[in-house]
Amino acid sequence: MATQDDDTLTGAVPDPETEPSPAELAHARRFAELVDKTLAGRTPPAMSADDRTLLEVATVIRATHGSVELAPSKQRQAVEDALHQAMGTVPTSRGAVVPIARAQARRWAPWVVAGASTLVAAAAIALLWLRTPGAGHANPVARRPAVPEEWTSRSADALVGPIARDHAGDASSRIDTIFADRLDGFRTRRLARGGKP
Amino acid sequence: MKYVIPGLGSVAFVAALAIAACLACSSERDAHLPPASAEPAGPASSSATRVADPGDVIDQDLMIALAQAKNFHHKAKIYMADGNLTAATASVRQILSLAFPKGAPEADDVRNDARALLAKLLMSQGQLDEATRTIDEGLAASQRESFFVANLYTVQGELHEARAAAFEAAGESGKASATDERHAAISSYDKSIQINERLQKKLLEER
Repeated sequence: MATQDDDTLTGAVPDPETEPSPAELAHARRFAELVDKTLAGRTPPAMSADDRTLLEVATVIRATHGSVELAPSKQRQAVEDALHQAMGTVPTSRGAVVPIARAQARRWAPWVVAGASTLVAAAAIALLWLRTPGAGHANPVARRPAVPEEWTSRSADALVGPIARDHAGDASSRIDTIFADRLDGFRTRRLARGGKP
Repeated sequence: MKYVIPGLGSVAFVAALAIAACLACSSERDAHLPPASAEPAGPASSSATRVADPGDVIDQDLMIALAQAKNFHHKAKIYMADGNLTAATASVRQILSLAFPKGAPEADDVRNDARALLAKLLMSQGQLDEATRTIDEGLAASQRESFFVANLYTVQGELHEARAAAFEAAGESGKASATDERHAAISSYDKSIQINERLQKKLLEER
């Protein structure tokens, strides 16, 4: 059997100018008490389906207005933890509040490490690639001089130059030139090495 | 958007890769450094310097071989002044058997110059075939182009001219051969000129 309460949501909508009936006032008073109990954490275990629906709507409306607050005990705990962290002491509660900056750092730390390592690896590989002697690279031996050319055994072309036909058989004078030049290099090198051969 | 936080394993792998690459760089750099026993640079060092191999510097063996060649040349010169071409030829031949340090560029130069002189001596004694063989052996043994190789081609050209003159002297029957020899002489001189030009250009670029 349906009661008046049961058709609160499905019944006809009364005219706004109409005075509320005693039954409506009683229903409103009872629903207000139900809301108060729910906010106080004492929600009745049993209620009508319409009351439950209205209560859920009221809860959602209250939550969307931002008027939901932590329990006083939880509020106190959170404030105390924040103060402990600000003072540099260890919070007493188990569920310590993590500072926002530290929480973000924890979140980004693996990415930062991975990114930095990748950059170092890329730079090292690039360096290795650039330093590897290959086509177009100068001979590393030529980059680091160690022995003057005058000390080395080498072709006599630069010393003698082109041989004119008139002097084709003048090998005697050319060997004199070559010998004198190489002797000069040999002596200089030997002197630089303290007389060692 | 879903973010995937990299795990410890992947981070460790990338870090290990970076360390390995750095180590590779380091070892590669060390490989380019000269050994501690590298030849010290003396006061005469210039920009045109390089690291020398152990047998690359002017050593006593090279100087002895050059001194020997010098002496044989002077001996031959005296014989030539005396008109003793046979003794002069023998003296120059001895230069070809001198022991130079292995791979010394001076060895090729000195031997080629001796061959050029030897061929001229043989030519002056009428031994054209022997002179030609001396030149051909020198050209065959040469490992690189040089002014001394160019000089061998010059003497080869002179030999062809001498042959052409000999054919001309033989009369009408030798005219065709004389022409061939003159063409061969021109070819030899051209080779000599081309080598000289290439080497001079190369030397100018190096300066």
